[in-house]
This record gives sequence, structure tokens and C-alpha cells, in this order.
Amino acid sequence: MQALDKVSLNVYPGEVVALAGDNGAGKSTIIKAISGVFQLDEGEILLDGRKVSFTSPQEARDNGIETIYQDLALADNLSIGANIFLGREPMTRWLGILPVIDRAKMAQAAKSTMEQLDFHVTRLDAPVAAFSGGQRQAVAIGRAIFWNARLVIMDEPTAALGVPEQRKVISLIQSLKAAGKGIIFISHNLRDIFEVADRIVVFRRGENAGERKPAETSGDEIVRLMVGK
Amino acid sequence: MTTAALASPTSRPSLLMRVAELRAWLFLIVLVIFFETWTRIGYGTSFLFSLYNLQAIAVFAAMPLLLGLGQTFVIISAGIDLSLAFVMGLASVVAAHLTNIGATNFGMSQPVAMLFGILVGVAITIIPGLVNGWLIAYLSVPPFIGTLGMYGVSRGAAYLLAGGMTIAVDNDWYSQIGNGRAFGYIPILVIITAAACLILHYMLSQTRFGQHTYAMGASKAAANRAGINIKMLTLKIYVLSAIMGGVAGAMYTGRFSAGAPQAGEALLLDSIAAVVIGGASLFGGSGTIWGTVAGAFVIAVIQYGLVLVDVEPFWQFIAVGGVIIVSVLVDQTQRRYLGGRQAE
Amino acid sequence: MERRSFLKVAAATAAAAGTGLLANKASAADAVTIALIPGLTADGFYVTMHKGAEAAAKALGVNLLYQGGAKWDATLQIPIVEAVIAKKPAAILIAPNDKQQLVGPLKKAFDAGIQIVCVDTFIGNGVFQTGSGDADFPISYVASDNILGGKMAAAALAKAVGGKGKVYVSNTLPNVSTTDQREQGFKEGMKAFPDIQVLETQFNGDDANKAAAQFQAVLGRAPDLVGVFGANLFSASGAGNGAKQAGVAGKVKIAGFDAPESIVKDLKDGTFEMTIAQHPAEIGYFGLVAAYAKVTNNPVPTAIGTGFTVMTKANIDDPNVAKYIYSSK
Repeated sequence: MQALDKVSLNVYPGEVVALAGDNGAGKSTIIKAISGVFQLDEGEILLDGRKVSFTSPQEARDNGIETIYQDLALADNLSIGANIFLGREPMTRWLGILPVIDRAKMAQAAKSTMEQLDFHVTRLDAPVAAFSGGQRQAVAIGRAIFWNARLVIMDEPTAALGVPEQRKVISLIQSLKAAGKGIIFISHNLRDIFEVADRIVVFRRGENAGERKPAETSGDEIVRLMVGK
Repeated sequence: MTTAALASPTSRPSLLMRVAELRAWLFLIVLVIFFETWTRIGYGTSFLFSLYNLQAIAVFAAMPLLLGLGQTFVIISAGIDLSLAFVMGLASVVAAHLTNIGATNFGMSQPVAMLFGILVGVAITIIPGLVNGWLIAYLSVPPFIGTLGMYGVSRGAAYLLAGGMTIAVDNDWYSQIGNGRAFGYIPILVIITAAACLILHYMLSQTRFGQHTYAMGASKAAANRAGINIKMLTLKIYVLSAIMGGVAGAMYTGRFSAGAPQAGEALLLDSIAAVVIGGASLFGGSGTIWGTVAGAFVIAVIQYGLVLVDVEPFWQFIAVGGVIIVSVLVDQTQRRYLGGRQAE
Repeated sequence: MERRSFLKVAAATAAAAGTGLLANKASAADAVTIALIPGLTADGFYVTMHKGAEAAAKALGVNLLYQGGAKWDATLQIPIVEAVIAKKPAAILIAPNDKQQLVGPLKKAFDAGIQIVCVDTFIGNGVFQTGSGDADFPISYVASDNILGGKMAAAALAKAVGGKGKVYVSNTLPNVSTTDQREQGFKEGMKAFPDIQVLETQFNGDDANKAAAQFQAVLGRAPDLVGVFGANLFSASGAGNGAKQAGVAGKVKIAGFDAPESIVKDLKDGTFEMTIAQHPAEIGYFGLVAAYAKVTNNPVPTAIGTGFTVMTKANIDDPNVAKYIYSSK
């Protein structure tokens, strides 16, 4: 079954691209192709003008592409620092001999990253399960920043949040933009799209259905592009 | 840039959280005080300040604790290892056989024969460990079912190898390992168990392996996304658990001078109880080695203490079950108020 | 040490039946098939019982079937009974895993024309052919007289501890007929020694580790403990280990039950003072003979009690005693 056909997507540093489309339009598929989960059958991905092809998510990550899925993929029982370093924990040597996890480094990373995001909690070493939805989203984003992602992809970042927390996540996206990252985010939330996106790309049934700048379009038009009227 | 500062997640006192983490030890202290009072009033002797009692309790707790150490990793990873009941017996029987064979067929001296027996006995457990891990990781069999299958297979193998009997071992060195005292005071069995605790504590709290075990218990998806090889991790965890079963089985043979297929049968539930009392959730993601140590001692103190103060045996059956229920209730309450599972 | 046996009644009947049996054997056109269902397969006691039954089967020209569960569990044994019924043996020798649960399945066998002999454990109350009760149909109960065994242990232990002091029974689980009877016999036997106080029984769930800890705890509150009766192997060996840990091995006397191969070392190094060895081979042998006798229309005693041998360090090397060790060979 063909999920994507004749689509193209560009993102520039410091730019926020919203990816809209109905279910089955191919938004998740293209995201997964960019982040190394899927391999393209045809077509190409260019990074800085270089053709790239990632065979695993880790490879995509090594090239500066971080993806934050809806479930955030955080380990609830671990701290912010532990989550940031999950899978690549830094090691040091206790008494110069015994290899141990460098928890000090992880804690420092958590502190500096969360400061960058203006994220304040009394206990930075608490397990992330103790945080609210918006805070956990911030942790996931923090993880992406720490590893110097140049392209941050987010899948429905505000979907499960209440309105005040949605606002906070939007402002986090604006921070990322200000830091020169490229951002693609998938969303059904027109309000969020119009608030923060620089461009809106619409997919329909595996194909490009249109691209607009928010200032030049309306919610109705986006919806029309999504369903094809 | 301004972002609304995200509010602090906890206005709950962190003292309460520390208490929750150390729950098992508090439990133990309460129990010790309880029995201390009883023995003083009833018998005019001390419960805690008696080397005799301490030695007896420590030796009693040793083998269930050895099983509990491996079980801790498994339970944190959101699994369970039921096969330990007979993996321990399998190791016990193999160790016994090979110690005998080493002496008789290969003319090994006692210490060498003993080492030979122990080594092979422990090594053989790698097989059920691998099978468990493979069933669970590669065939996606739920841990309860997979390890229940190996429970049966190990039982059959152990009984077959033992010919339905216990295998007598006549080896003074081996008997010393199981029964001897270092400096006349500390049972060697306890020293070995303590060493195992230290090693596994290090593995769980200071290595990537341990960290990833916690992550996997919280969310396999998260661990996967982070690039952790879940399948290999699962294999390692179950092999570790089986090896601990092997160590326990080898110790059993030394202590009782006989290998018995059912050596671990009665210890399985105690090993799981120790982990749970120690603070782990059976849903995975939490638990610590020191918690399991405390849990194992809680069980040993209760069972020993009740006999010491001459409580009718039927209360002993109820007591451990009661402790587990109370532990789980406290755990549930703790989660409700303090939120989330906690790693080390 | 003496060897007691209660073979008088059985021997007389068997001898009388024997001549008749051999005459019948010669004339039997087809070999009789008899099935043996042990309490569990993986147990030295039952392994030895099987060998005894095999010896009788060979002597009588009987075809012996052997089917059992890997664990002492009525839910495992019941389907085995049903499978054996389908094979239509002339008789079933069985060590029932539960006094009540096996009544139904065995009745089914009986109604299908199969004679039942209970070995080692029993259904109902173990007293058969009385004309009353629903578990009356088995023709005989062949077992060690566990009450007698307990009494012998009491007498031997009392003698070993000089007739006074505190003792206790280390038992596995309550409501198992064999160990219950041994405990009962022990306590009755100890009544003859007024200076010996029997403390509360401790249950160890058939776990040597627990039995050891229980010993140490009892010793902790009763430093004047002089003896322990272990109602089965793990109970005794656990208590013995407890004594070793407590440094009182040899001072507190352990009386065990059963004689697996490890008993030789345990007696010699003082872990056990003595053990009461059953004669499972005799149980198997006489069980089979009783079944065959019934099948060939000969009278059978309703109870056959096999004997015990008290083994100690002093006599274990005597071949007449050593032959009762439960051996896999």
C-alpha cells in the first residue's frame, strides 16, 4: 500500500513548519521516513543539501534530527537527567577504578537544559512521572535540545494537554525557533498552527495538497485543503 | 523570551518520600522492636543483641535472598521468574553429581572437586536463563507463562538427573562453604550472599545495564526509542536471575551435603515476596537491591521470631502473607499520594 | 538394633496363598496386569517400592504397569487413575495423594471391575472391607505402620537422651496422613517417659532451610532441648543442619525418618542420631502379592503392616541393616 506519493517538504533553520492533514494523509509516515524509522522506496532526503539515508533512528539522531512522538517516550521512573541520557549514559570512574554512571553530569545536564527552557521545579531529580503533561513535554523537548538537534520533529505536541499547558508548549516551540532549530510539528489544533507556524503544509492521501503562510490563509481554507474540496 | 515558569510538581514534603523509599527497613525495625520487647518480657533474653539469633536469621535469609537478588532485576523489568523454584534444584543436583564425579572419576582433590561441581552447577543454569529470555524477548511469551514453562522443564530435568532421590556429597570443603564460619563468627554462606548483594547492587544502580532495566520496566517503547536493545537486555536479565538460582543451589548442596531437586521449591514465593516487600511494584519500574535485602530479612525475622517466642505454628503461615498484603497496601497508598514509580 | 516386623499375619496368608498362587500361575492363560500408581515418581521411597513390586511381579508372572505424577498432587494423580482404568488392569496399587479426592476416581475403577490396594497412604480412614463408609471398597491397606514408627522413634530417642529433657517434632505440613501418624505415634510413645516434655510441633513446609531455622529458634527459647524427631527426610536433615549451625550437633539428638543414600554419612558424622527406615520394597512386594491373591480369588488380609529398621551409626555398616537404604540401584 502506498503511503506517500509525490510529496515534498522543506524546512529551514529557525523555521516552524506545521504539517496538517486528515488521518491517513501520510503525516506520520513522512516523519518516520525522515527520522530513520522507515526507508524510502523512492525519492530522497537532503540534509544541508547533502543526500542522506538513515537506516535507524539512532543514525538520524546522530545527524541532528530528533523526533518527539506523542507518547513522549520518557521513562517515567527515571529523572530528567536520566531520560536525557537514556541509552547513552555517561560513565565515570569511582575511586578511579570502578566504572559508574556519572550522575553528577546527568544532573548538571538536566539543570542547564531546563534553565534554557525556563523550566522550574523544586526537585530536578524527581522521576518524570511526578510532572504534569506540559512539563513532561518540556523534558522531551529538553532532551532534543541537549543533543543539539538541528531539526526537531514533534507529533501532536499539545494533543493531551489542557489549555494553559498548551500555551506553555507553544512558547517552548518559539524558544526552539529562536535558538535556530528547524521544527516540524504535526497537529490537528488549528489554533496552535496559526499561532506558531511559519508555514503550513497540508497532506491529503499521501500527496501534497497545498502550502500556505498563516497570514495568507484561514482555518477554513486549511480544512478544505485537508479534506479536498 | 518569556515563558510562563512551569510550576513546581511537588508541594509534597520530600521527607515523606524518603520514608516511602525506606519503607521495608522501617518495617524491619518495627518487627525487631516487637520481638525484642517480647523476648525480654517473656524470656528475659534479647532478640537483637544475640549473636546466636543474628547468625540463625542471616543464614535463614541467605538462600531466599540470593534468589531475590536476581528476581529484583526481573521484576523491575516488569517480568517475573517462576522457574527459579527448580533452576535452583537443578543446579543443586548438578553440583552434587559433578563434585562426586570429579572426585571419583577424575581423582580431583576435595577443594578442586568442589569448585568443579559449583562451577558446572552454576553454569548449567545459563541454559534455562537463555530459554526464558528467548521465549520472552523473541517469541513475546508473557514472562509468567514462559518462566512457568521452564519451571516444569527444570523440575523434570532436576528430578531425572537426581533419579528421584537426593544426591549425597561427601566433601568437607564443600560442607565448610555451606556451614563454616569465618573468624568463628560470620557464616561463609552469609559472606557469599553479602558479596552477591554488593555486586548486584552495583550492577543495578551504577551500570547502564541496571539503568536500562529500570527504563524497560517503565516503558519498553521509551527504551526502544532510546536505542536500547530490548531483546538482548531481556536475555541478560533472565540469565542473571537463573545464575543467582544456580548460586543458591550450589550453596544448598554445600550446606546439606546433598543435592535436592526440590531445593528451591519452597523459596520461590519468599523470593518474590522479599522483592515486593522491599518496595518493588509487580508492574515493573521500581525496586532496589537493598529493598530486597530488607524484604528478605523481614520474612526471616518474622518466621524465626514467631518460633522463638513460641507462637502457634498456624500464625506463622498467616504472618508472612499478612506482611505482603500490608506492604502492597502501603505501596498503593504511597503511589497515590506521591505519584509515579521510583528508580534508584 | 532390633528389627521389628509385622509380617506374621501377612506371611501366614501369603504363604498359604503362595502355594495356591503358584498353582494358579501355571494355569493362567494370559498374564495378569496390575498397575502401580505411586504417590509421586520422583522420590526414593517410591522408587524402592516400585522395585519391590517388580520383584513380586516377576515371581508371579504379572505384567506391572507404572504410572505416576511428578509431584504429590491429587489434581495430577486423578487423570492418571482415569488413564489407567482405560488400560483395564486387574488391579491397581495406589498411594493416594488425598484421602477424599481419590475416593471417587478409585470407586470408578472398582465399579469397572478393578481391585484396589492402597499402599503407603489411604483413602477414607484406611480401614477397609468393614461394610460401612464410601471408601470401603479397597481390599487392603499395605503400609508401614506409621504410628508404630513414631513410637519406635520415641523409644529410641528417649533412650538416646537418657529419659529426660525437652523434645519437639519437626513436621512438614498438617493433614498429611503419614507424617501425622508418625507425630501421633511419637507423642504416644513419649507418654511412657514422664520426664520428657514434648514441645509444640513446628511445620516447615518440607523445606530444610526452614526446618534448620526453626530448630535454632526452638533451641533459642529452650536451651535444655535434647532431641528432635523429624517426621520426614527434609525435616530431619534441616533440624540436623540447624543443630550443626548452633554448634550442638551430637548433643541434641536428631531422630529422622526414612533412609535415602545420604543417611550413611548423616549417621556417621552425627547429624542424625538414628533414623527409622521404612521397608518400601516390602510394601510394594506385599501390595502386589495381595492384589494378585485377590485377583486369583484368594483371601487377603485387609491390613498389612510392614516393618521398620532403626538405623544408627553403630549398625549402619551391617549389611543386614544397610540393605534397607532406599537405593536407586
